[in-house]
Amino acid sequence: MKTTQTPVVVLGVIGSDCHCVGNQILDAFFSERGYRVVNLGVMVSQEEFIHAAIESAAVAILVSSLYGHAEIDCTGFRQRCRERGLDDILLYIGGNLVVGKLPRAAIEQKFAALGFDRVFLAGDDLEIAAECLKSDLARRARRERRRIA
Amino acid sequence: MTVTHPHDTQAPDHRQGRDGQVPRRISAAAFLQQREAVLRTWPTGAGVCLEEAIEYQRAIPLAKRFALAMRDVAARRGMLVQPRAGVALIDEHVRLLKYLETDGEADLLPTTIDAYTRQNRYAEAALGIEKSITAGTSLLNGFPAVNHGVEGCRRVTESVTKPVQVRHGTPDARLLAEISLAGGFTSFEGGGISYNIPYAKNVPLRKSLADWQYVDRLCGWYEEHGVPINREPFGPLTGTLVPPCISHAVGIIEGMLALEQGVKSITLGYGQGGSIAQDVAALLTLRSLGAEYFRAAGFSDFELTTVFHQWMGGFPENESRALAVISWGALVACLAGADKILVKTPHEAMGVPSKEANAQGLRATRQIINMMADQGGLATDAVERERVILEREVRCLLGRVWELGRGDVCEGVAAAFEAGALDVPFAPSGQCRGKLLPMRDHEGCIRIFSPGLVPLDHELLAWHRERLEERARAEGRRVSFQMVTDDIYAISKGRLVGRPR
Ligand code: B12
Repeated sequence: MKTTQTPVVVLGVIGSDCHCVGNQILDAFFSERGYRVVNLGVMVSQEEFIHAAIESAAVAILVSSLYGHAEIDCTGFRQRCRERGLDDILLYIGGNLVVGKLPRAAIEQKFAALGFDRVFLAGDDLEIAAECLKSDLARRARRERRRIA
Repeated sequence: MTVTHPHDTQAPDHRQGRDGQVPRRISAAAFLQQREAVLRTWPTGAGVCLEEAIEYQRAIPLAKRFALAMRDVAARRGMLVQPRAGVALIDEHVRLLKYLETDGEADLLPTTIDAYTRQNRYAEAALGIEKSITAGTSLLNGFPAVNHGVEGCRRVTESVTKPVQVRHGTPDARLLAEISLAGGFTSFEGGGISYNIPYAKNVPLRKSLADWQYVDRLCGWYEEHGVPINREPFGPLTGTLVPPCISHAVGIIEGMLALEQGVKSITLGYGQGGSIAQDVAALLTLRSLGAEYFRAAGFSDFELTTVFHQWMGGFPENESRALAVISWGALVACLAGADKILVKTPHEAMGVPSKEANAQGLRATRQIINMMADQGGLATDAVERERVILEREVRCLLGRVWELGRGDVCEGVAAAFEAGALDVPFAPSGQCRGKLLPMRDHEGCIRIFSPGLVPLDHELLAWHRERLEERARAEGRRVSFQMVTDDIYAISKGRLVGRPR
């Protein structure tokens, strides 16, 4: 794998969710930070995310969910990624992730259990998400180099 | 720009553009034939019998008839207060509505439908119901009325004393309308544009418009049988910096389409933009232009009322700040003389509100309305300026729609969206160009930064641009997309205009 290539991230809003304002902003935000963003827009199924990630050799899938049904929509997502050969892909999720109001720790726990590497709430600073992505990818690249060596 | 008086601008005889054709109402035969197929799309459809439903609706007490409540409040120049609310299970939903009418003192009640039902994904709604039972809390963002069926809906509407409306965002709401109207709801929100463009990825407009003609025909059918059903096009669209001329054009079109199918009680909506002058002007204009266009289309037997939605964009997370936004919306609705106000909650930025948070929004709103009750509206030069401009803009847009439709409003709408003559900012739908970009001016009015292909005349566009240049000069930066992004976040971060950081 060429390491100089622009890293690709797949972006989209999962399930039956139509909130697209944040999606348009995230597209611009990650593009500005040097990623090629494959933006699937709103109402994206697990299958569509996975298909796009395989097609584009993506390093991460950035899932949004604003409308509260994230838990139902994301059930089995990590397992399905593995089944399709995406063993190593980073899974991030952000937005208004549950119906109603829950403490951050409870939300993080729920989505970590569903196989997400990072969990962000709607008000979180996007710069922090960008930092996380950078360091997660760097860590992954180091591991990859060790494996090859 | 020289500001022309409204009377100087062109009269809106849209029949000119329609080649003299009369409104096209779906025939009884075609309607009844389509019904059979609609009712078969989910098992609970079998529970609807139109004759029985009309009998059932006729027996609903007058105090619970939405259309009468709207007529009444308009006559006494008051304002009715309505929350949004919906959870997965019937008993829980009943408890919620009862709380909102007692502790929350709501005048009108909602039943907000969950997002799976809105996409006709009833199997997923069923899963959500199941999981909610297991979890002991609602895992759906609304009430799955289709799954609960006619009997389930009747349990809800019979448990409360106030009129109840179905509030949703459903491109194909035919089955939902059948079940919920048979279930005792007396008002139905939405329309073929306003419940497609902001709410769907790529449902053809011709399809959603036709499906909503069916919904309107159904409402008209009840009306013809002595059961008035109130219809409310969804004014705010994407809730995100929508220029008022766009939402007005859409609302007036949807109102006309409903009248065509026999509806008589229409409530046109507007989502708060943020500038007091622009918002007051917008609500006044919506009422006057709505009535004018409806009459010009040959309708006289209608009851037109208005609804003002408190700020529909991103809210501040802090609950005190959120309550400030809520109260500010209530004040503007009073100044504008809206007939109804749709209320937000201090949980808006976080998630579906608890019943207590919902009642907090209602009480804050009520306090403002009561304090404003004895004060008049707002008539300033700025309001007058905004009215004149907005009227002219709406005429530009509707004029083009009639032109493109050549006698057929639905065709005109579909063609206008294809051509970019109608465009909604920040919409998810592939059916609209998304080339129109809004931005706030120095005073916070929503202006047009990039018109895309929207047919506003040159003078108007130049005027918008000049207002934006004025802001840019004051901020020491150029008019740029960054300002749009700043405006999107501004209210959630504590101010109206997205000033440079
Ligand atoms: C505008 C709006 C709408 C518009 C949307 C127009 C459109 N098509 O986009 C309209 C009016 C149509 C609408 C409809 C609905 N809405 Co709405 N909506 C909002 C509102 C007010 C603002 C959303 C917004 O645009 N914010 C601005 C953008 C910039 O922020 P953002 O969306 O949060 O995205 C940012 C972050 O979340 C983060 N982020 C998002 N994803 C990810 C992913 C990663 C990896 C990272 C790092 C970060 C990240 O970064 C983004 C950019 O800064 C919010 C409440 C609020 N926030 O104040 C409710 C809200 C999101 N809506 C809500 C709901 C439920 C709905 C409906 C289902 C109706 C209902 N039952 O109430 C329908 C949707 C139907 C459907 N099929 O999806 C709820 C969700 C509730 C919950 N989770 O418990 C909210 C929170 C309101 C509430 N409190 O009830 N809505």
